[in-house]
Amino acid sequence: MKIISDNGRFDTFRTLLQMLEKMGAENADEVKMLEGHIEHLKAEITSLQHQKEEIDRDAMFHFKGPMLDALLIVCRQTRDKDEEVVMSKLKEEVEELEKDLRLQTEMNGIIVENCKIKTLFRSEGKWIRQVCVSLQCSHMVFQVDFQVSETKEGPTSEKKVIGLNVVLDSDDLQNCSGFLSRVEESLDLLLLFRTLRNFSDRCDERSRTFQHLQEKFPSVVSLPGGCRSEVMSLRHPELPGCVVFIHWAVDIFTEGTVAPKINLLTKISEKALELFPSQPVDGAAEAFQSLLRILGPEAAVECVLRSVSLSQGDNVWGEKQLKQS
Amino acid sequence: MENVSTNGVLTHLSQLEVRARSPGGPETQRSRVKELRAEAEELRGLREQLKAEIRALKDPCFRQHLQELRSSADPRPSEDPPLLQMMCRQLDLKDLLHGHHLIGGLDAVQTRQGRAVCVSLQTTYEGVFLETFNLELELKPRVRIGRHNIPPFVPLQSLAEQSRLQTDPGAFLSTLSQHLNAFVGRRRQLQLVKEQHASVEVMESNLPCSILVLLFTAQTEKAAVLCTLEYSDHGSRLPGRVVLDCEDKQLLKSPEWRSCCATLMKTPVHRALARMKKSSLIL
Repeated sequence: MKIISDNGRFDTFRTLLQMLEKMGAENADEVKMLEGHIEHLKAEITSLQHQKEEIDRDAMFHFKGPMLDALLIVCRQTRDKDEEVVMSKLKEEVEELEKDLRLQTEMNGIIVENCKIKTLFRSEGKWIRQVCVSLQCSHMVFQVDFQVSETKEGPTSEKKVIGLNVVLDSDDLQNCSGFLSRVEESLDLLLLFRTLRNFSDRCDERSRTFQHLQEKFPSVVSLPGGCRSEVMSLRHPELPGCVVFIHWAVDIFTEGTVAPKINLLTKISEKALELFPSQPVDGAAEAFQSLLRILGPEAAVECVLRSVSLSQGDNVWGEKQLKQS
Repeated sequence: MENVSTNGVLTHLSQLEVRARSPGGPETQRSRVKELRAEAEELRGLREQLKAEIRALKDPCFRQHLQELRSSADPRPSEDPPLLQMMCRQLDLKDLLHGHHLIGGLDAVQTRQGRAVCVSLQTTYEGVFLETFNLELELKPRVRIGRHNIPPFVPLQSLAEQSRLQTDPGAFLSTLSQHLNAFVGRRRQLQLVKEQHASVEVMESNLPCSILVLLFTAQTEKAAVLCTLEYSDHGSRLPGRVVLDCEDKQLLKSPEWRSCCATLMKTPVHRALARMKKSSLIL
């Protein structure tokens, strides 16, 4: 084994050893310095994150993911984000949101056409926001404005509706006005929409029935106010002085129960009444109510129709009911 | 002599080697330095990113531009860059979804690649937002109720059958929301009775808050009146039946007490009690 004995090489070794030892000491210093630097960076980052959260919480818009990248590009705060990539990611997000919107619209049964949210007031732990929503529910169009206040005190938070105003852009206003003022007072948003949806469904049911009957018996049925109105008039073409009116209202009761209220009214000319003292005619309205209870709205109305049109065969039983009153 | 020196060098070398390999030694120190440098660089990058984001979020011109774009009635496709337009679309959609959430009291999110829907149902009473219930609806092969945290006294299966869950899940959710809101409403009324009317004793109540028995003291003769409120329709926040009982049978026949029975059927109980106190019917 050749042992290094050359003085020159020994010196190199010694220098190397000295360097190693020096490096060891320097490394220890650098490690300390880096650790300190990292602690400082972490503190800076925590404070920046808080700043960002505060801005985000105040703002109406919340930016994260592709939206945040897009924001950086548009504000020219970044050079290393690819606009095409960000655009395609954002498009994906928008498509997901459109899918969610379709699902929500189906679940709620109401189309939200527009929704504007504005912060009216903001202080430490409290927000007040104004929400203006325009909605369409079948044939009814309405606008709802309400204010929501949110307070956060430590772990507890309270959110409540503090004002509510409904504007109904539709002919059905009279029937709803009582209910609307009650609900504006009780601030019951959910009851409002559930009831308006049920009300709209009932009005659709009435409209469908009226239209169907008019198509089936065009010479007898007329809808003086159109198919969305509450009144259907029945008259036999050869008996101009005798008209039977079906008044089909949709009423809203307390707690938002919606139910149809159908009444039969007759308009018979004086002369006819003189000729035929009218037991059947007087009792017609009450008889109709019994028919309603037994057959339900559409069948009962159709029954009356057939009687007025003096059609034979189909509904003899119905005619007997009316005459028996 | 040479042997001693070389022996000394070798020993020294092997000592250094041991030190180098040991933790705290130069080799581990070198790799530690590398690690720390890399970490510091990463953190610096993160800091710069956050600073840029904050600058962008605070940018007043951008906000103004975005606001104008969103509030303008007619879109100007040629003038604005596509990225900005797409951002406006995202913000509009988010607001529409928020609107849906507020008016319908439910938040529906598709899960499992469209095979299921997770629904959060919000409850409110007198404008105050109370608790949220969650339900998962599996959509394929048939619509079926999955996991949920709805209280057991709510008859989910029969509600599902009544509202034809298969064809119209929206109707089912609306009915369910009504039942949940009714339950939470009744429970809240009971809470308010306890808070606002210390002179009224709650004798009995049950979990779904569908039975409430109260004891109050009439002004006249300080007679004790037992009031039973039965909420037979669990979808309602008002009682279906009110029964008043008192030792003095004549007391209850008076018109004031008769009308108070009617009030209790039409008004939430805590408000009805307030009215009764105001008209000096009870203490």
